[in-house]
Amino acid sequence: MYDFIVIGAGISGALITRELSKYQGSVLLLEKENDVGNHATIANSAIVHSGHDPEPNSLKAQLCVRGNALYEVLEKELNIPLLRTGAFVLAHDKEEEATLDMLYRRSKTNKVPDVHYLSIEEARTLEPNLSDSVTKVLSLPSTKVTYPWEVALSAVENAIMNGAEFRKNQTVTSIDYKDGIFVVKVNKDECLHARFVINASGAFADQVAAMLEQEVPYKITPRRGEYFVLDRRVKGFINRTLYPVPTDKGKGVLLVPQVHGNILIGPNSVFQDSKQDITNTKDGLNYVKEEASRLAKDIPYNQVIRTFTGIRATSTYKDFYISSSKAYPQFIHVAGIDSPGLTAAPAIAEYVVNDLIKKLTPLVRKTNFNPYREKIKMFHDMTPEEKKEAFKNEPRYGRLICKCEKVTEGDVIQHIHRIIPGDTVKGVKKRARAGSGICQGGYCEVDVIKLISKELNIPLKSVNYYHQDTPILLKETKVKK
Amino acid sequence: MYDVVVIGGGAAGLAAIHSAYDPTLKLLLIEREKTLGGILKQCIHNGFGLHHYKEELTGPEYAERGILSVKDLSFETMLDTTVADVEKKSDIFHITIMNTELGEAVIQAKTVILSTGCYERTRGAIQLPGTRPKGIMPAGSAQRYLNIDGYLVGKKVFILGSGDIGLIMARRMRLEGAEVLGVAEIMPYSNGLTRNIVQCLHDFDIPLYLSHTITDIKGIETLEAITISEVDTHFQPIAGTEKTFEVDTLLLSVGLIPDIKMFDSLKFDVSSLTNGAIVDQRYQTSIPGLFACGNALHVHDLVDFVTEESEKAGRFAKDYVLKTKAEKRQLITIDPGDKVRYVLPQYLDITQNFDETVLSLRATESALRGTFNIHQGETLIHSKKARFVAPAEMERLVLKRSDLVSEAPLKVSFEVGT
Ligand SMILES: Cc1cc2nc3c(=O)[nH]c(=O)nc-3n(C[C@H](O)[C@H](O)[C@H](O)COP(=O)(O)OP(=O)(O)OC[C@H]3O[C@@H](n4cnc5c(N)ncnc54)[C@H](O)[C@@H]3O)c2cc1C
Ligand SMILES: Cc1cc2nc3c(=O)[nH]c(=O)nc-3n(C[C@H](O)[C@H](O)[C@H](O)COP(=O)(O)OP(=O)(O)OC[C@H]3O[C@@H](n4cnc5c(N)ncnc54)[C@H](O)[C@@H]3O)c2cc1C
Repeated sequence: MYDFIVIGAGISGALITRELSKYQGSVLLLEKENDVGNHATIANSAIVHSGHDPEPNSLKAQLCVRGNALYEVLEKELNIPLLRTGAFVLAHDKEEEATLDMLYRRSKTNKVPDVHYLSIEEARTLEPNLSDSVTKVLSLPSTKVTYPWEVALSAVENAIMNGAEFRKNQTVTSIDYKDGIFVVKVNKDECLHARFVINASGAFADQVAAMLEQEVPYKITPRRGEYFVLDRRVKGFINRTLYPVPTDKGKGVLLVPQVHGNILIGPNSVFQDSKQDITNTKDGLNYVKEEASRLAKDIPYNQVIRTFTGIRATSTYKDFYISSSKAYPQFIHVAGIDSPGLTAAPAIAEYVVNDLIKKLTPLVRKTNFNPYREKIKMFHDMTPEEKKEAFKNEPRYGRLICKCEKVTEGDVIQHIHRIIPGDTVKGVKKRARAGSGICQGGYCEVDVIKLISKELNIPLKSVNYYHQDTPILLKETKVKK
Repeated sequence: MYDVVVIGGGAAGLAAIHSAYDPTLKLLLIEREKTLGGILKQCIHNGFGLHHYKEELTGPEYAERGILSVKDLSFETMLDTTVADVEKKSDIFHITIMNTELGEAVIQAKTVILSTGCYERTRGAIQLPGTRPKGIMPAGSAQRYLNIDGYLVGKKVFILGSGDIGLIMARRMRLEGAEVLGVAEIMPYSNGLTRNIVQCLHDFDIPLYLSHTITDIKGIETLEAITISEVDTHFQPIAGTEKTFEVDTLLLSVGLIPDIKMFDSLKFDVSSLTNGAIVDQRYQTSIPGLFACGNALHVHDLVDFVTEESEKAGRFAKDYVLKTKAEKRQLITIDPGDKVRYVLPQYLDITQNFDETVLSLRATESALRGTFNIHQGETLIHSKKARFVAPAEMERLVLKRSDLVSEAPLKVSFEVGT
């Protein structure tokens, strides 16, 4: 029997679990995938928005501005990467300039710090590749960029350090309520019990809620967003996030510098039925190209290393739907968490615990909560002295396996033996970046497979690409080795 | 301080160190793998060495010959060692190497030869539509898993791109018991050697879909199906021509790219046509003392020409170190003209003594017969008739010093017919 079961290890569930681990009581985080954060949290623009865009007085506005400020705390405690890039919103004509004025006023109402207009000349000095058609620029200095997936991973790891439990490959398949206790069934077989259930299952939130509720107050209408990723060699092409003025379709196609030096171009916005079909379409990508040309000129598309799609958990309820269930107050909906969900996530966690759970049950702070989670420093980022020391203790730091991203065998090994192990090819890629460069694993995939096999003492044939039962090496042949 | 450091110990590096050898010089060969030979080690099929050794060898046999040829020469070799970075400071190259004996260390050299081979173009670079499940990989990776590690990566296979590796892998996977449903190629012609089309596809009844590309990929966790469509002359898919294949593996053979990403700090000039360094007839890059050869310079279809080119690069590097007085270069450009995709070298250094030099080039069109012409300014200075010209096969022209009529740029073009 658990005090809290959190469903979904995206950035929302991860930070809620960590927030709960600050208090006495048992917490279990359930995730249907083979790792944390594989849905919206891995496929998005990675911007910590300033809060210039959400409608004043909405939960989105409140939690976005608060979340943005909390990232400064997360940076210190969880050692997550945070780039203080700032952002420009770009207008191209009188009509768009009027929208820009509206955003300026909205930013003031939302209490976004330091928003100001820039002259075109100033803007061009800061961003020489700005498109020629831009007529007016609003600057948002508090906009930042992070690596959302690592935020989720580090939050879950820190929660585990503080006593929380995490289980992957656990799909919640039914939820019942008996005698004041929730019975949560996973993988259609095992039953788990909890006093509280927090539904942070992203695009699946309505389905999970419907396992319990007669009437779910929202429906998720999945909205696809497609991107190009430019190699990190293009670093410096733009130095801050470039937004067009928003339309009724959302924030539009952006250019975003990423923490590892890459640049993202996207997303478009297309409603689709499927919650997990991350198809890239030709039309979608063409649209992204067309729109992006309004932001910057001569975008180096010859440096595209991959394309991807993310799915927004947009709901029919216009705002985030974060609330206790009417019928079962200890069941808490964290739903409709589309943009600015990552920005808001730390504030969502605070809100769920302080404003919802504490209203229903007293919580006692742990005296020994450890908010810190050390970052595993990559060999490439170490000082010469640190390199010497690391190499002395682990000679495999001397073997470079990913030439594109300069990842050594020593680095990968650290990530394989982490609190939540990087035990798949993609798991290692997300943690250590081996395979994230221009050759996309062409060189290092084989080394990564062998390292996982050796370190975890499992056969090569059992090393998965990502999901369960997705081995890359299918069948041993008679070829002599 | 080394006189010559060769980075990469494949066919190119072996030939380069062989000809750069001089008993008075201090030489070093660096290879990231535990054994020499490079990509040849995984090419267990026949068809190597017909030009160079006048016999048909397998890849590993060809590599063995190269290794034997340098066995008795005294130079240093560092295996299991990767070059992480190269910088040039006041005429000296500083090479950052990494291995498990030294960790990270910096060595110095007067000249450097880049022979680091190539890497395979990926799905991301060609922006394939559809989902991104497990089961999609470059054909060369599948070849490595099969021929070096002894594992098959799939049972029902489709191949995109008719590059040689894809063709070879179609046959190879079939022989290992996998079902190979077809090969699709977006161009109206194959990108592989004719002999590979015949021996790897025709002989095994594997269909080749020319002017076709992949328009959809299905499967969330593992690959379930791919759809191909015919394309029009602008490479746009034609609606109604879709064919779907249920497969668990999609191999990509969509191009190779010179692997010189480790050398960004050197900032030498790179050609957008070859994706490799821009060189003169000595295979010297825009940085004096820095040479490039083999697949790291431009992608070769035949290893024999890799060896030939790299032997020259090695010799020129040796001459460069042995020469005592500083050189001035005077370069004239060699540009691709009509129906020629690229020409290499891109420059002739006319201060150099040379009787003749070989130009490597690729045509943009297939033709049974045609003529390659070299113009200097307006003057036709050389022409050569050719048969069975195809974009997939590298062509070579011999340019004599005595052909030159001025110091004007050169242009190489291809004329179809006669
Ligand atoms: C294209 C795009 C761009 C975006 N850009 C930004 C941005 O720049 N800035 C910003 O602030 N926000 C952005 N967002 C929004 C942000 O990414 C999301 O709000 C955030 O990632 C949502 O996190 P989550 O944890 O709520 O959901 P998710 O990350 O989707 O996590 C839900 C988890 O629940 C699991 N789950 C589902 N069903 C079950 C079940 N039955 N049993 C067990 N587990 C289950 C899933 O596997 C998943 O891991 C963007 C979103 C998209 C799609
Ligand atoms: C799959 C395939 C099939 C082929 N089939 C045929 C055929 O049938 N007949 C034929 O004649 N030719 C064939 N070829 C062409 C020919 O074999 C190759 O062009 C030739 O072997 C390339 O030699 P190379 O030395 O340039 O590159 P490689 O053999 O790739 O050697 C490069 C070496 O550099 C090393 N290296 C790279 N980066 C670093 C670094 N940073 N530090 C240290 N070392 C590094 C690599 O480990 C590698 O060993 C084929 C090629 C391929 C890829």
